[in-house]
Amino acid sequence: MDRSINMVDQEQDGMLPIANVGRIMKQILPPRAKISKEAKQTMQECATEFLSFVTGEASDKCHKENRKTVNGDDICWALSALGFDNYAQAAMRYLHKYREAERDKAAANNNQNTANIASHGDLQVREQTQTSNLEFRVLEKGDNSLITKP
Amino acid sequence: MRQPGRYSRLMMCGGIMGRSGPHSLPLARIKKIMKNSGEDVKMISGEAPIVFSKACELFIEELTRRSWMTTQQGKRRTLHKEDIESAVVGTDIFDFLVSLVSDSCKSEDIITPVGIETLDES
Repeated sequence: MDRSINMVDQEQDGMLPIANVGRIMKQILPPRAKISKEAKQTMQECATEFLSFVTGEASDKCHKENRKTVNGDDICWALSALGFDNYAQAAMRYLHKYREAERDKAAANNNQNTANIASHGDLQVREQTQTSNLEFRVLEKGDNSLITKP
Repeated sequence: MRQPGRYSRLMMCGGIMGRSGPHSLPLARIKKIMKNSGEDVKMISGEAPIVFSKACELFIEELTRRSWMTTQQGKRRTLHKEDIESAVVGTDIFDFLVSLVSDSCKSEDIITPVGIETLDES
């Protein structure tokens, strides 16, 4: 890693990207509104602090409950606990939609695979049972022949 | 039938690690900030940054909207840092940002004596 990164870059790296922040701000404002660079920077810092603040709360809860992983539900809980109820609800809806989409994606992949296997699978099982039956009979015959040795 | 707009928006991303996904903020960066927030934060589930990308977006939207109200009151068209400061001071749930926005210089001022009036006078 290049250690000669200047301080500004390092600071920027630990915050949300100003371009993304600026875009979100712009989308919410009237078309001809302008945003000063300093305002964008301030918003960038505020949003980053928001992240840390809520994470801290969620992390504390996990720690108390002896859990190692901070999950989506913990974040939603922390949002509510800190007074951001409306964000919590919207974030939960967003998370559920995301989970649904992932499930649908996975299910679609699975259905594709099992559809291919099912047509062959049954046949294979049937053949195996028949073969083992035959083998069993052959072995029995072999054993019987030993007993009937003169 | 699922609504195409919502579904296709979600499907646009290249999975959780998609850079230009439907999430308006980069998930890897969000995860990094979460990890930096404290020593206790060791493991983060894959969905946590996704939840945060939405919550952060809503946060920025709300703070921007409130700041813009101050801008309009001053009959201006450019949103300035001071407008954000007003919005933070005027909103209870944004209390955690008060010391951050009232810092004129960002350097070593970690502890801002905000509540200095509440110290014992004896």
